Amino acid sequence: MKLVSYMSQWRGIAKEAMDRTAIAVKFLCCLHITDTYFCSPTHVYGPSMLPTLNMVGDIVLVEHVSQRLGKVRHGDLVVIRSPLDPKRCLTKRIMGMEGDTVTYFDPMLGDATRVAVVPKGHVWIQGDNIFASHDSRHFGPVPYGLIQGKVFFRVWPLDCLGVPGQ
Amino acid sequence: MGFRNLGLLGSFAKEGLEKAFSLGKFFCFLHVTDTYLVTFVVTSGPSMLPTIDLIPTMFLGERISTRFGKVTRGDIVIIRSPQNPRKLIAKRLAGMEDDTVTYISNPDEPDKQETIVVPKGHVWIQGDNAYKSNDSRNFGAVPYGLIQHRLFWRVWPIKGFGPFWKH
Repeated sequence: MKLVSYMSQWRGIAKEAMDRTAIAVKFLCCLHITDTYFCSPTHVYGPSMLPTLNMVGDIVLVEHVSQRLGKVRHGDLVVIRSPLDPKRCLTKRIMGMEGDTVTYFDPMLGDATRVAVVPKGHVWIQGDNIFASHDSRHFGPVPYGLIQGKVFFRVWPLDCLGVPGQ
Repeated sequence: MGFRNLGLLGSFAKEGLEKAFSLGKFFCFLHVTDTYLVTFVVTSGPSMLPTIDLIPTMFLGERISTRFGKVTRGDIVIIRSPQNPRKLIAKRLAGMEDDTVTYISNPDEPDKQETIVVPKGHVWIQGDNAYKSNDSRNFGAVPYGLIQHRLFWRVWPIKGFGPFWKH
């Protein structure tokens, strides 16, 4: 007798739990879609993009539409998966598209400027702070397919709200 | 009279919006499964003969091992082409990072072998059909981040239905 009443109580609770979980799952799915295809916030830090981005960390909005449509261009700030460590993402500026001849200067290798041609399907990325940036000058041009998104707005710190400078 | 029509229109619009939302939720769920778990993949082309046939063949590809770094030498993966970011290609992983790979760059001259060490964060991919495959022998090692899926089950044609690993 008691068992039957317990079971019916359990069923009610279980159903309510399933409903709530379903709502949470649907919300997370929608959040994920927006994150992947439209816009997502990212925390970026490190000295390689001084003075454009701060060293201690900024929160920027990254949009994922342009790279899918092939509209990423020379001078864009992009978030790109590292070719050396697939679990890390870097934030750098595109300094050359495929077919471009890039002239670059690496202060650690002396005063000479070097020249490289960017092969098909690749881009040349550089940090704005050439003295403290590990980028295409060291590991070569990276395939376009590694680009995750384009940075278009900074939301934190609040006094730097806006488009990150050129 | 006008108001009644407006009311009807309102209820139609509401129902339409609700249906659109359900559809949207369903697609979101499908997309999350696609991106993080398993998806259908169709391959075509001669570069993986005799393992994968010429004709369009459908497989199941999973993303769990690629995300956790558990793909190994010998797995067949779908990888974004480093020459054309809109193309996905299916190849076998012939070497992981820090491996020494010995390959024949031109199958018409089997005695000319070249050796290369795969750099950190990169993989070496090769098609099983050495004569008709555009792979790492042409464009070098590719970054691991370009790997999309790992094929593990063949779905179509029906006579090939079944597990697709350890080939």
